[in-house]
Amino acid sequence: MIRFATKSGGHTPGQQQRTGPGQEALAGLALVALPVALLLTLTLWPTVTMVVSTFLVDGQVNASRYVYFFSDAYSLANLRYTMEQGLVSALSALAISFGIALYLRFSAGRIATMIHALSLFPLFVPSIIISYALVRFLGPNGLFQLLLEQVGFTHYRTPYLTPVGPFLAFVWEALPLPVLVLSAGLTQVSDHAVEAARDLGAGPFRILWEVLLPQVRRSLLIAFALIFLGIIGAYTVPYMLGPAAPEMMGVFMQRTLGNLHDADAAQVQAVVLMVISSVVGGFYIATMLKSQGGER
Amino acid sequence: MKRTPVGGLLILGTMALAMIGPILTVILWAFAVKWRYPHILPTEWGMKFWFGMLGRETIITPVLTSLALTSIATSAAALICWPAAYAFARLKFPGRQLMLFSFIAAQAVPKFALFVSIAVIFLRLGLVGSFWGVALVQMLSAVLYMIWIPTAAFRGIPPALEEAAFDLGASRLRVFLQITLPQALPALAASYVLAFVSILFEVDGALLIGAPTVTTMPLLLMSLSAQVIVQEAAVLCVLIWVPCFILLLLTRRFMTAKGIAQGFGA
Repeated sequence: MIRFATKSGGHTPGQQQRTGPGQEALAGLALVALPVALLLTLTLWPTVTMVVSTFLVDGQVNASRYVYFFSDAYSLANLRYTMEQGLVSALSALAISFGIALYLRFSAGRIATMIHALSLFPLFVPSIIISYALVRFLGPNGLFQLLLEQVGFTHYRTPYLTPVGPFLAFVWEALPLPVLVLSAGLTQVSDHAVEAARDLGAGPFRILWEVLLPQVRRSLLIAFALIFLGIIGAYTVPYMLGPAAPEMMGVFMQRTLGNLHDADAAQVQAVVLMVISSVVGGFYIATMLKSQGGER
Repeated sequence: MKRTPVGGLLILGTMALAMIGPILTVILWAFAVKWRYPHILPTEWGMKFWFGMLGRETIITPVLTSLALTSIATSAAALICWPAAYAFARLKFPGRQLMLFSFIAAQAVPKFALFVSIAVIFLRLGLVGSFWGVALVQMLSAVLYMIWIPTAAFRGIPPALEEAAFDLGASRLRVFLQITLPQALPALAASYVLAFVSILFEVDGALLIGAPTVTTMPLLLMSLSAQVIVQEAAVLCVLIWVPCFILLLLTRRFMTAKGIAQGFGA
């Protein structure tokens, strides 16, 4: 049996090293080999293969498939709609969760606890369940419309099958992460700091902008990147709740591959989405590395 | 900046309607025999649709397929990821940070686009429409939970305890089984539950790799939700989601700001 050291790095001086560092390295590499192999086989390999194959047309290297995508009005409309949906939904989710986090920072008691619990509820609800639930809640003659009619409002127009439908679902799903991260960040601002700023004559907006926001700026950026990436790559929500045209890239790719059996076009759509994501993703990774730098 | 309770109650009321309203609608539908416009509650209650569905093969087969797929994919992921998590937490080896990091970075890849690329390769390999092809792809959904939560858990166990046991002459295996494992067990169980539920409700991989031969429970739910009878999809939602919700509640200790933020690197 391999006897490798348990010490997390051997920084406990004066104790005997149970095994050599070489043996420990081998054991470590052996233990992580399978999941790393799984990750590489199912992410790196297919991605590289896909990018290469989109540039191979009848045995020749050219970009004609991309030229088609970027000259096709329908493809462009879908791409544009996806980006707009992602941007508007992610920013709204952040704004709402920042509001909730601010409320939680400056309140205590039962109401605050319940608001906190409600904002975490989506962690326990899969995408497909909330999509279906929103269809039933917001759809024509859904519970929301029935409630509105009870109080005398009869001009309800359902957001189902319009861009507002996926918008509401995306915001609903996105709430927990930013509420958790932002309220944790805001508790790091002491009451003294807020009072000191107020004593110096700062109004609520100035306190918000110059005292509270800087504390959570990095969390906001990371949360935005994650939420945005989740939305532009989504399938279930836009399929269940979104408009038929333009469609979000997820639905577009599925229809191109699954219904039209046009693997080449679907791959081009996927590469375009991946390139855009990698810009946002690269930024996410860079921000994350910076914030983890201190740990190592 | 103290607010009046009126403001708090207003926020609470809006949140309650927005967060609970949709799910409540589904639960009401599941127990409704008749719900006619414009009544705000079902006009006839009962579980008629539950009994009607449970005997049907078109319902039972996808549910069983999903349970088998999910159990296999989650367990396989646990088998390869938990030892790796231990290594990430306790052993020094070249490329450790980079490899650990790649599991988080993989979160930034748009899943659906990635599955398109896998589907094209699997098509060539004859894995599209196969049970094992779907299982393999769905393992990917489990990896983040299965690596990150256990790694953090193993890191959180103070090495001093293990050192003390070593000094008293305990073997490496005994220390792991009697000291390390019991302390990490709640986190390991939580990672299993989180991965299990996320795979059970996974749509993208099942759709692109499994369809049309492998029909999972979420795909069934999608097709039921398009039909005229509302109750069947609602019953399926309640039947599958409520047990998962209760299981997930048991893991909420690991869904803290720190845990989630660490998982996503925030």
